[in-house]
Amino acid sequence: MDTNKRMEQFRTMFQRVIDPLGYKFSPDEEIVDFLLEQEVMLEKEKGSPFCPCQGLTGEREHDMKLVCPCIPFHREHYDAMRRCWCGLYVHKDVDDPDELVQISKKEFEASRNKG
Amino acid sequence: MVPWFFAINESELDEGDKKPLLMEGNKILLLRQEGGFYAISNKCPHMECPLSKGDMEGYVIKCPCHDWRFDIRSGEFLDAKEITVPAYETKVDDGKVYVNLER
Amino acid sequence: MKKVVMYTLSTCPWCMRAKTFFREKNILFEYIDYDKADEATRKSILEDCMSHGEKMSFPFVKIGEDVVVGYDPKKYSSLLDK
Ligand code: FES
Repeated sequence: MDTNKRMEQFRTMFQRVIDPLGYKFSPDEEIVDFLLEQEVMLEKEKGSPFCPCQGLTGEREHDMKLVCPCIPFHREHYDAMRRCWCGLYVHKDVDDPDELVQISKKEFEASRNKG
Repeated sequence: MVPWFFAINESELDEGDKKPLLMEGNKILLLRQEGGFYAISNKCPHMECPLSKGDMEGYVIKCPCHDWRFDIRSGEFLDAKEITVPAYETKVDDGKVYVNLER
Repeated sequence: MKKVVMYTLSTCPWCMRAKTFFREKNILFEYIDYDKADEATRKSILEDCMSHGEKMSFPFVKIGEDVVVGYDPKKYSSLLDK
């Protein structure tokens, strides 16, 4: 299938998933296009649209939690960043995604244990 | 319109089994568990894979594509309850199973 | 000069930005694309990330003894100056 067409299908399907979770596609269109295109490639190569910014191990249980949108499996962490790891999605109230920083797993866990 | 539609005869589905049906143009998955009948949409809310090809464990069905798990009674996705696969009411009357396609 | 080593993915835009950041500052760095690496290298990257209490979230940037996970130019700069 044509890459652009598949990208559009991803947009439609993933919008339905992220909306009830309180997320939207990033207003940074350039990043969104780039990431969706990578996901189409990853689907062709590996069978699923995996997150373009997280590493796969080849273990099904691990890797399936990285299929886009992977928000359900990393909810607290992403809620704390107000974006997902790769930045394809942001919280609905985010207007400027450039203001957000990535928080690593270790930093997130440390802040959670404090708070 | 009357929302109850005939699905199958009770005897056509064994305990623990599932059957994909096309009802009024809707892809429905009918399941029988602990004696009860349950009906959900057969399209996974993630990327529309057919849940009929997934494995069942108790009231939980696992999508064959990326392993998302749903409770067949409520349609809830176990890892984020805000996401659901449409679930429909069922009733058995005189050995026949009906599904309420209005939700 | 602190040694800069990073683990990246060829599909990740933040990894590209991280590389650009160091290039523009004329700072030499080494990088390995995890998704293009051989099995043994992949395994050692996984172990390295885990030993720092992290997952394989990219870019994974080591500046001297310190680690920054993610694209964070402010942190990169402050660690380079430290
Ligand atoms: S399509 Fe069902 S889990 Fe992805």
